[in-house]
Amino acid sequence: MEKNKLSKYISFIFLLIMACIWIVPLWYTVFSSFKSEADIQSSAFTILPINWVIGNYQDVLFGNTSAPVARWFLNSLIISLSQTVLVLVLVSLAGYGYARMKFKGRDAIFLFLMATMMFPAVVNLIPLYKIVDTLGWVNNYLAAIVPGTAGVFSIFLVRQFMLGIPMDFDESARVDGASDFQIFIKLILPLIRPVLTVVALFTFTGAWNDFLWPSIVFNDVEMMPITPGLQLLQGMYGSLEVAHALTGALIAIVPTFILYLFTQKYFMESLSLSSGVKG
Amino acid sequence: MKKKAVLMFSILFVIVMSLSGCSSSSSGSSKNEIVFWNVFTGPDGQDMQKIVDEYNKTNPEFKVKNVSIAAGDMYSKIPTVVNSGKGIPDLTIVHAERIKQFVDANMLTPYDDVLVDFPDIKADNYVPAGWAIGDINGSRYSIPLDVHSFVMYYNKGLLEKYAPNALDDNVVTFDEIKEAAEMSTKDGIVGMGITWTRPTFLSIYHQLGGDITSDGETPTLNTPEAKEALELLKGMIDNKFTNKDGEDPGQLFKSNKAIFYPEGIWMQNSLNEVETLDWGITSFPQVSADKIVNWTSSHQFVMFKDDKRSDEKAKGMMDFLNYIRENSLPWAKAGQNPAALSTLENPEFKELPHSFLIEDTEMQKSLKIFDYKYNGFVAEEIDKLVGDAIFGKLDIDEGLQKAQKAVEDKIAANNKK
Amino acid sequence: MLNTETNKQEIMSTGLERNSSKKQLNLSPYLYIGPHLVLFGIFFLFPTFFGIYISFTNWDLIGEPDFIGFTNYNEILFNKDSTFYEQLRVGLGNTFKFVLFTVPACIIVPLLLAAGLNTKPKGLKFFQALFYMPTLFSVSAVMIIFSMLYSVSFGPINHYLNSDTNWLSTQPYAWITLVTVTVWWTIGANMIIYQAALNGIPKDLYEAASIDGANSVQKFFSITLPSIRAQILYTVVITTIAQFNVYGQPLMLTKGGPTSSTTVLLMYIQENAFGSGISIAGIGSAMAVILGICIMIVSAIQFFFLRQRD
Repeated sequence: MEKNKLSKYISFIFLLIMACIWIVPLWYTVFSSFKSEADIQSSAFTILPINWVIGNYQDVLFGNTSAPVARWFLNSLIISLSQTVLVLVLVSLAGYGYARMKFKGRDAIFLFLMATMMFPAVVNLIPLYKIVDTLGWVNNYLAAIVPGTAGVFSIFLVRQFMLGIPMDFDESARVDGASDFQIFIKLILPLIRPVLTVVALFTFTGAWNDFLWPSIVFNDVEMMPITPGLQLLQGMYGSLEVAHALTGALIAIVPTFILYLFTQKYFMESLSLSSGVKG
Repeated sequence: MKKKAVLMFSILFVIVMSLSGCSSSSSGSSKNEIVFWNVFTGPDGQDMQKIVDEYNKTNPEFKVKNVSIAAGDMYSKIPTVVNSGKGIPDLTIVHAERIKQFVDANMLTPYDDVLVDFPDIKADNYVPAGWAIGDINGSRYSIPLDVHSFVMYYNKGLLEKYAPNALDDNVVTFDEIKEAAEMSTKDGIVGMGITWTRPTFLSIYHQLGGDITSDGETPTLNTPEAKEALELLKGMIDNKFTNKDGEDPGQLFKSNKAIFYPEGIWMQNSLNEVETLDWGITSFPQVSADKIVNWTSSHQFVMFKDDKRSDEKAKGMMDFLNYIRENSLPWAKAGQNPAALSTLENPEFKELPHSFLIEDTEMQKSLKIFDYKYNGFVAEEIDKLVGDAIFGKLDIDEGLQKAQKAVEDKIAANNKK
Repeated sequence: MLNTETNKQEIMSTGLERNSSKKQLNLSPYLYIGPHLVLFGIFFLFPTFFGIYISFTNWDLIGEPDFIGFTNYNEILFNKDSTFYEQLRVGLGNTFKFVLFTVPACIIVPLLLAAGLNTKPKGLKFFQALFYMPTLFSVSAVMIIFSMLYSVSFGPINHYLNSDTNWLSTQPYAWITLVTVTVWWTIGANMIIYQAALNGIPKDLYEAASIDGANSVQKFFSITLPSIRAQILYTVVITTIAQFNVYGQPLMLTKGGPTSSTTVLLMYIQENAFGSGISIAGIGSAMAVILGICIMIVSAIQFFFLRQRD
């Protein structure tokens, strides 16, 4: 017991040290957002603002008449939420298929999926744009939602997790006369909730922070998500307003941070459900 | 079994369909709307929006829809959009250096036919450097909006103290900067800031008689003049007349710790925000006072090819361009020099600090736009070369050789079949 | 390679299943994997094949691509005089360096953090949120934050270290900066995966080991690590792939410098395909294909070694 206490103490100290490092950039960002541009760019650095200003928030939220920040938020929410829901459906279905069903070419298909995902996506940009354009999706939310659901990484994660659930579960259910679909819905889905929360969080954050693709498929300022939208607040030729950029970054993470706080509780607690499961 | 199949696919289908329902599609240009793409973001974007709003208030037959896109994204987007033939903007602002490239790729519609009805849009009414860009193979492919130059700001107080006579002839030479810096560095004041290396290098290169191409086809980067230009800058850095590598020259200038600050005229509004700074503006520093060169670029209106664009709409666009020609003052206040000469008559414009560049025809001649089909390749290599070479991280000869080779290889790769 | 674990389970269960569910061997599995496969085909496979095709052409993105066979590959792989050969060599070298510098840190740091958090310390939720939070920022935001932090003249780091270190454009500081940023920014996801995995290890395993007199370090290596091997494999592979695709950090912080020492391959690919000059998409695509092959080889090696200890 003594030993246990000691190791707990040591890990607390370790976490504390790491936290001190981790907090520096966040601290800097938060407090810089309350400084004026001139104070940020002053050689006399101060931890806390000397003159507290909220002008940066006003400027970012309402200052630019051609930048509908509230609308960008809504767009981002629609896009990220839809993509997350779509991915959850696709991924749990596909994960079930690859992990718990047997069919010809299953492993070959899966291996192929994994292999293709390793190609850098940069050269896909133009053909992807053409496809989206053919579908008539340019300047449409669908252009930002659907292509992102083709990813394989989440399936890999879910499949790995499902492999850890003993096959006996399915067998005994099957003996009781359950069909594949019933097993999937009633047995497997509740068990994989933890990994689905993780997938939801990753997908939502990924969609929220995606930058290059949305800025290619949206021309209309009204349709822009927030991440590429905020870029429009910065002037040409790198005349960067640091205070505004930092403030914008903070405003933009609010929804993802809230989502994190919700899911954090959920996926950490629900894991005890599967404590008997080998990872 | 069938039921399940239907269920699975209907989930997918329903989601997709419900999503398409809640999205609006307003990309395609509607009949009475001119879709106007431009690279103006941030404060510039707002200024352009205001000009467009004012124009729309005059109740034109074709209203203008302002679409501002970050420059990098717009240039990635244009080939794909023009290629797909859908959602092509009616009117687009591009940088002067890009136009030859677009004409070569047969992507632009010339203005020649529509210009007939607009006699005021002609060479005499625009700054020559800006107008000349759009004249390619005898056709007019672009109309200039502005000419924006890379000049030099100076700190009035520090200039008085360290180089009181430097501006007597309205030109600051590098020798004068060195002289001032000899004194000022002792007080911890930097002589000149090293800012954006590309225009800095190109200005000096051209002053020394160099250019990025000899005949419009062959790149000329590895030349004695280029070496001289780099050595000049390196010498200033080695003598500690400038800011150190990595130090932010803008911050030094804004906190009254640098005498000279070469930058673009578009930076003045951000300098104005600093209350403790009293600045003036003059030409970029010169090797000799006889030949003045100010690196310049220009935003130009072009029309990307679109079969669906009607003649009436093209005329509507010309109405807008004519309006811009006569109402460029707001754009000048945004920190740019309008290309339309009619603005010169406006007393308000004359009070703007950067108006000196186009006020008299002599100064207009100092504006140098580096116009070359392969300008983009050259720019990429110059960006890699100059900073490293002048801060002593790269051998100048080797760097120039590599840069020249890289541009040649890129041109060759582009032309191979 | 991927599926040794599955196969084992299958062998165990097929005996039971074969008789009971022979009729089930029909189209049913494709209904589960089908929806994703359709989207994958349209939005990933097709564009990727097109991208690979582009690598065999000369294309400026505007006209039609001209098929030129292996010319691009010949140029970037074997023509030692070519700028593009040099670009591939430098870019790939720097990319590999980046992977080598960041991947171990991006595995070990979050693993230690997760292990620490697994002791349920005071302020668990605060720590957890703090370490995860950077992941929520977009790439441009992170780069602005760090370019300010590391700024020579007005950054807090130099201010408190009382130095004038040029963090962004001299070596080895440029690499140190890039690695720090990457670790700070990206460990959140791995940490969560490890936390979930650690949570799932049955407590009685540890208790049994304690009775046998094992100390914490021994327990970590003999119980913790083997129990979460699957997650470690997953994170190693995913992290490696992600770091091979590094682009934003060097682009926005070091601009590839000093003297191209941090210019990664994706920057050259981007420059050639979407640069400020006329597009040389063929060369860019060929470089991307080479990068893809490198990633596949490295991932395959990782699978092989991490699976070996089964």
